[in-house]
Amino acid sequence: MKILYSWLRDFIENPPPAEELPAKFARLGLGVESSGRSGAAFTGVVVGRIDKIDKHPNADKLSLVDVNDGSATMRVVCGAKNIAVGQMIPFARVGAVLAEGELKKAKIRGVESEGMICSAGELGLEGYDNSGILVLDPSAPLGADARTLFAPPDWVFELEITPNLAYCLSHYALARELCVFYGLKFKEPALPELPRAAGTVAPVAVTDPSLCPRYTAVVMRGLKGARTPDWMAERLRAMGSNPKGNLLIDVSNYVMYELGQPTHCFDLANLAGPEIKVRPAADGENMKALDGSELKLSAGTLVIADREKPVALAGVMGGFYSSVADTTDAILIESASFAQSAVRASSRKSGIKSESSYRFERGTDIELTMKAARRIAGLLLEAVPSARIEQVSDNFPEPPRLPVVTADPARINAILGTAMTDEKIFACLKAIQPGLSPEKPWKFTPPSYRRDIETVQDLAEEAARYNGYDLIPSASSMPVMPASSTPMAEAEAELRGRLAALGFSEVYNYDLVSLRDFRNCLLDETQAVELLNPLSSDYQYLRTSMLPGLLRTLRYNLNRGRTSVAVFETGTVYHRTKDGKKEDRVCAGLMYGPFPEEQHWRGGSEMSDFYHLKGVMQAVFGGRRGFRFEKPKHRPAFLQEGAALVMKLGAGEAGVLGLADPMAVINSDLKDTQVYYFEISLAALAESWKGSFRDRVPQVRAVSAFPAAWRDLSVLVDEKREWSELEKDLGSLPELARLDLIDVYKGKGVPEGQRSLTLRFTFSSMERTLTDADVSSRMEKALKKLEASFGAKLRG
Amino acid sequence: MNAAEWKEKLSRVGESFSSAISGAAADNIAEVELQYLGRKGELALLLRDLGSFTIEEKKELGRLGNELKSRLVAALEARKAELGGGKAKAAAGLDLTLSGLPFPKGSLHPITRTMDRITASLMRLGFSVAEGPHLEEDHYNFEALNFPPDHPARDAQDTFYAAVKDGSGKDMLLRTHTSPVQIRSMKGAALPLRVISPGRVFRAEAVDASHSFVFHQMEGLYVDKGVSMADLRWTLDAFIKDLFGSSAKVRFAPSYFPFVEPGAQVEVSCVFCGGKAGKCPVCKSTGWLEMLGAGMVHPNVLKACGHDPEKWSGFAFGAGVERFAMLLFGIKDLRMFYENDLRVWKQL
Repeated sequence: MKILYSWLRDFIENPPPAEELPAKFARLGLGVESSGRSGAAFTGVVVGRIDKIDKHPNADKLSLVDVNDGSATMRVVCGAKNIAVGQMIPFARVGAVLAEGELKKAKIRGVESEGMICSAGELGLEGYDNSGILVLDPSAPLGADARTLFAPPDWVFELEITPNLAYCLSHYALARELCVFYGLKFKEPALPELPRAAGTVAPVAVTDPSLCPRYTAVVMRGLKGARTPDWMAERLRAMGSNPKGNLLIDVSNYVMYELGQPTHCFDLANLAGPEIKVRPAADGENMKALDGSELKLSAGTLVIADREKPVALAGVMGGFYSSVADTTDAILIESASFAQSAVRASSRKSGIKSESSYRFERGTDIELTMKAARRIAGLLLEAVPSARIEQVSDNFPEPPRLPVVTADPARINAILGTAMTDEKIFACLKAIQPGLSPEKPWKFTPPSYRRDIETVQDLAEEAARYNGYDLIPSASSMPVMPASSTPMAEAEAELRGRLAALGFSEVYNYDLVSLRDFRNCLLDETQAVELLNPLSSDYQYLRTSMLPGLLRTLRYNLNRGRTSVAVFETGTVYHRTKDGKKEDRVCAGLMYGPFPEEQHWRGGSEMSDFYHLKGVMQAVFGGRRGFRFEKPKHRPAFLQEGAALVMKLGAGEAGVLGLADPMAVINSDLKDTQVYYFEISLAALAESWKGSFRDRVPQVRAVSAFPAAWRDLSVLVDEKREWSELEKDLGSLPELARLDLIDVYKGKGVPEGQRSLTLRFTFSSMERTLTDADVSSRMEKALKKLEASFGAKLRG
Repeated sequence: MNAAEWKEKLSRVGESFSSAISGAAADNIAEVELQYLGRKGELALLLRDLGSFTIEEKKELGRLGNELKSRLVAALEARKAELGGGKAKAAAGLDLTLSGLPFPKGSLHPITRTMDRITASLMRLGFSVAEGPHLEEDHYNFEALNFPPDHPARDAQDTFYAAVKDGSGKDMLLRTHTSPVQIRSMKGAALPLRVISPGRVFRAEAVDASHSFVFHQMEGLYVDKGVSMADLRWTLDAFIKDLFGSSAKVRFAPSYFPFVEPGAQVEVSCVFCGGKAGKCPVCKSTGWLEMLGAGMVHPNVLKACGHDPEKWSGFAFGAGVERFAMLLFGIKDLRMFYENDLRVWKQL
């Protein structure tokens, strides 16, 4: 909310200087978004007249303008489109001080400019059309100091007021807050006494007082042609509001900014009856709003109605037919209190947000309605002394019950961790509630505007605000406590660390994806959770797989000149289920291009393939109990048939890896399909992390103290026989410490349909050094096994 | 052998070493060292004989033996230095400035590193890690956190709703903060409780340099008997200093979150200008950075979790992880976190 310093001063006896206010606001929890000077803070600007306009010789969009400043004619370069000969304009002479600083002599596209024709923005003026130069009233006196045409200099503060401080949403209330907390003297505004005995022109009825606990109405007549005084228009403009000039419209806004009470003026002539009924709308009832839109009201929406129809959406916006116009002579001023939830509900249902609904939703001071009505009447009488007051009514059946909070100073200190004296705490409470008795226990009843105070915790906050939050020390009485992580978090951290160590970069993608992402990656969107209010169709669904995001990352980097990408992401995937939704944490990644990626002077880089990724997974899961690769029973989604493996941990499936489905890759605007993808279930991993640390670390075997012996063997085997078959069969050889496959070869010298495998056998005994004869006999056994089980032949 | 004989042997070892070392050359000095000072060298053998002497004798002879050893070692080193021994010959033909082999080097995301660091820091203060779902029920995200339906504070959190209903028939939502984990941790739990919950949150905001509809938060919660705002300040002090150094300062200003009372905004002295302000673009010359929201757990929140606010009290705080990561890694545009440009991430 905008706050004007000059307006605040109306309510404070000896106000602090404007420069000190931002810090004072912040100390009370009123966020200061900006603070700055406003009004005519410029110097060196006079009223000038445009006498002649020529084209700039060197620029199409610029003009050369002769400006008469009352004493001489100046040549000025101007870029605005709205200039015309004869206009009166604010003319800044060289040396003028404007919003952006001092105006210096300048050459613009080769032509010297002897000053500047100013826009409202350049003058630092708020609330004026800023699309071109500021055109002044034709009656403005030529050569006069332009400051005399505008509001005097002021300060504007833009405050961010949190819902708990909604009682500060006006100049009056903010001044009161400053006075309470900084011990300043508060000045109440001057209000006229309204004739209590005035009759009843328009009876008021409220069907449900819980939705409208108070309705103050004042009827006035003889107001035709009431114009908004300049000072009021100026303040409204400074607030960023656009004054209409019709006082009957502008006075409501003015009083709202001043006192915080939203009000509404109905044209009495257009109120059927005339009468006012505050009632819930019937289902399907229509109302034409002030802005001309037709509203279809739903049942229960609180409306103000006359005898025939709704004339206002209570607390939100007035209706079209009963609004005041220049011909209006008699008005009914509504100053009411509406239930927060009722106003919020109708604002939400109608989609209309207004300054009024903003305040009612946050709660207004029920004691303020009469004050605001009197203030409006006073301002109208000031402008039109002949106006008559014909009705003053106040439907206020039951004043609200206010809580009584026991203010125990020990408890307040305990909450804050402070050691404030009773006097310090009492001073704060007394400032807020001057009626508080010093007798203990202190029974604190908040003033009517402080509806946020309900508990001793609230009072603790007040004590801290009053005495300063710096009073809270940094001191701990916290006992030690054992801390633990979760299996999921620990498993995830270890996995991430290992992948990063193996050359993968961690990336973060959004959880939100588009329908096209599903289609591109051949995923089924009917399994996905859709958003009801997406920002755009690009972010309409929650992802069911990490693949779309990772392919996007791949594309992004290839488009920026990278040739090699190895990335991973841990995140959540979401699925719709029969009875709701399911969330799973996964870690997925992909690998593409030369590995290692950096070119090296010694060479040695090759294109990533299936075995690179398999090697990464071997390293990631190395040493983990029960880890193994298996062939998938069904083709994993988004992986290529025959180029995919399942990773298992014990009985559970821990993930998959393989060649990404070439269709998905091509659909994602990538040319080369050699993209290798893996996805690991973090739940499965976490499952294997359960139990103690000891349960998951590997158990080591002793190694032999005697030297090992190794031999190589090259055999030709049918290429359909898989390595794992051979490996398993040979595993039973006695004292075989290691079996390594050190070469696989097909091609020249190897018959069609076969491949040459070179195996390295390493034997080792725990008891002795093996002799040459020992090793030879084992190798013979090995060859026999290979011949018998696989039809292998020794390669010459 | 008696003590006198031993002494004589010792002095002979010393003499013969002296002549051997003076005649030693670079190629045989190692032999001399082995002969006299090796594990089976003459001095070692002599010292081994000490076993048969009385304790008094052992003391004296041992001292003499060790004195000689020191002398011999010194003489040996001196001779080595003379001969220029110990200096390896420079290897020829290596261009030492050529790059080493490019072992694969990956990286962790700055948000991960920031969250891990904050987590580690707070775990040392006894906070355990807690988790919660992203698709959340209105009850946990709002209602139990003292945001009644139709409360204007809900406006500040532009919420994404999903086409999935919760158990009570309400639309589920993407959590707008990590605070629902407070409720999930506290509800029906045994107290005291001290948890942190790092994680992803969602708000329907347009993306720009300082906004994102996906971002991360770190929630902290401590509930016990007699917890005060001084404890809160101490905790934040400790963890901020751990992250930004011991000169970092923390201050509180009043603020509002429905689930705490009193509420505070936590500001940290600017890590760039050191709180000295002047012309600092990071803190806009205020000397302070708004880093966290915090406060004492609201009695209504304790009640919603089945705990008696007269008996228990607690503090809670929440931090935007992106903000921390930007300050720590010098990242100026929030969008960078989700662009995944490897030219950037490979620098990490």
